[in-house]
Amino acid sequence: MDVKFSDSVKELIGERGLKIDDVIDIINTAESSNRKLNDGSKNLAKKRIGEVTIYAVYDDNGNVETAYSHRMVLGEIQKTTDEPDPTNWVCVSCNEKAVIGTVLMTYMGVTRSGPAVVCEKCGDAWIEEYLATKTIAAAEGLFEKKKA
Amino acid sequence: MSEIIGETESLCPECLKVIPAVKIAENDNIYLEKTCPEHGKYKVLIWRGVDDYLSLKKYACVPSKPNVCAVDKEEIVCPLDCGLCKEHTQHTCIAILEVTNGCNLKCPICFASASSGYKFHPDLDTIRKMYQTALDSVGENVCIQISGGEPTIRDDLPEIVKMGKDMSISYIELNTNGVRFAEEIEFLQRCKDAGVDSLYFSFDGVTSDVFMKTCGRDLLETKLKTIENCKKVEMGVTLVTVVSPDINLDQIGQIIDFAKKNVPTVKGVHFQPLSYFGRYPIVPQDENRTVLPDLLVEIEKQTKGQLRVDNFIPTSCTNVHCDIKSMSVVLEDGSLFPLTHRSMGPPKDTCCIASKTRQEVSDLWRFVDESMDSSNESDPEPGSWDEFIQRAKSNYLTISSMPFQDVWNVETERLRGCCIHTITPDGKLIPFCLFNINSVHGQTLYRHEVFGKYSQ
Ligand code: SF4
Ligand code: SF4
Ligand code: SF4
Ligand SMILES: [Zn+2]
Ligand SMILES: [Zn+2]
Repeated sequence: MDVKFSDSVKELIGERGLKIDDVIDIINTAESSNRKLNDGSKNLAKKRIGEVTIYAVYDDNGNVETAYSHRMVLGEIQKTTDEPDPTNWVCVSCNEKAVIGTVLMTYMGVTRSGPAVVCEKCGDAWIEEYLATKTIAAAEGLFEKKKA
Repeated sequence: MSEIIGETESLCPECLKVIPAVKIAENDNIYLEKTCPEHGKYKVLIWRGVDDYLSLKKYACVPSKPNVCAVDKEEIVCPLDCGLCKEHTQHTCIAILEVTNGCNLKCPICFASASSGYKFHPDLDTIRKMYQTALDSVGENVCIQISGGEPTIRDDLPEIVKMGKDMSISYIELNTNGVRFAEEIEFLQRCKDAGVDSLYFSFDGVTSDVFMKTCGRDLLETKLKTIENCKKVEMGVTLVTVVSPDINLDQIGQIIDFAKKNVPTVKGVHFQPLSYFGRYPIVPQDENRTVLPDLLVEIEKQTKGQLRVDNFIPTSCTNVHCDIKSMSVVLEDGSLFPLTHRSMGPPKDTCCIASKTRQEVSDLWRFVDESMDSSNESDPEPGSWDEFIQRAKSNYLTISSMPFQDVWNVETERLRGCCIHTITPDGKLIPFCLFNINSVHGQTLYRHEVFGKYSQ
């Protein structure tokens, strides 16, 4: 897939301390393995690179809409309710509708829960952009940003 | 086995002459050794753990210069030509403004030797100049600690505070014994309304006998009352605890527990190993000293490992052997969750850390606030990261320490990188330790010499 970035997306990726090459790598990996979410028009892919999990949102033509990351390590999905909130996402490799669930996230030895898009069939979980760039960034910031 | 691991200068405890000194590693302890040609040799314990001492150097801050140097001299003899001078390697982070040398107590242990001899009581004009000295030297984000003596004995204290805020001082903390605030909550309210941001409140222990030793009076109830009043008017408090193996070293854990129970009114505990300047009861031997590693080991032991030695990091603001700090979140079950750990390595941006640490805590929460989605702050899910963040914002505790230097253990190496400066009425800024250091005969290099001139 020919991965393309607009200038503003490039800038955003830079601001978030991410590398263009990593984002391309994530998309290529997702496209060849089919491990991604799709909602009919766009895809959400993720990959752990070193100490961070990086996410990319892109359309079927390879236009990247956004990218973001978190350092926390995702753990098990906790029991979703009997009627979990549906999402528009489909887990492509399972061909299963993804739902909003709760996953454990561990950082610096602390484990707490948070909402995520989960596929109940394969048990994989994806963190949405608002959470990664707000609450999780804040929590990571508590540990990371100020050390003294 | 003994090995010289450093050279610096120090002072003679008898005559205050500047004399060369060496740091000696011996049995995993570090000693400062110096000889006055006239008064002989002195050797004093300054650290335990040679590797620890050396490894902390990686936290060294990038040197910075004061904006202005009050002393303009070609040949500087540190620390005799102080004020600051061109050889100083750090700007001012906290400027101490003493507004009186009088006090409503007369403690047997008092660095300021308050309530004795001459009376220093600068008028508002002089105080304005002192604020200006700090503003000129620091530029922006000036943090002032109003101190003494006991500042609350001045009825015009709210005016003094307001003047500072009107002159655009960003942060004012008030160093106090709290006695007046226990008796007069209205006065506390007025100080808060005038702009006091927090109290730096002496709190030496959780039992009466400790206060009998440090203050010569049983002040426990009074101290508790002060905290209650601070709670009522929502004034943040840092507990300042003098630490001595002869007085309260065994109460450190209880003091931290007390602080935890009083979060968020209590923001932190600052342990101050007793240093021997001003008024003090004995000529110190090594067994009367608490060096920083001793303190940290006691904290680890007495908090049963909730806080470990490795959770304490130099602020990279002043000399790496001058201070240490940890930050923790107080969790739902009352345990401490440390946010700082030495494995994280030194702060990334030490060059600007000095100006940042002044408002470090508020910066931190501002950062968290900005990153948070305010819309989902209402009722965080129990056990979630959301809840953790909410809790962290209001229930954190800082445990810190700065062992001041006295005439026995003083090193010019530490003085030169000092960022805590006393403002003098004649427009100088002097490292706090240096300002207070006195000889065994009570002679100072600065305190009484300077304030004496401006006394009534
Ligand atoms: S302590 Fe600093 S300002 Fe004072 S004399 Fe020494 S180098 Fe100069
Ligand atoms: S230690 Fe504080 S309260 Fe005690 S006499 Fe000195 S200034 Fe006053
Ligand atoms: S006041 Fe003393 S202990 Fe504190 S930073 Fe300055 S020299 Fe170091
Ligand atoms: Zn699946
Ligand atoms: Zn001498």
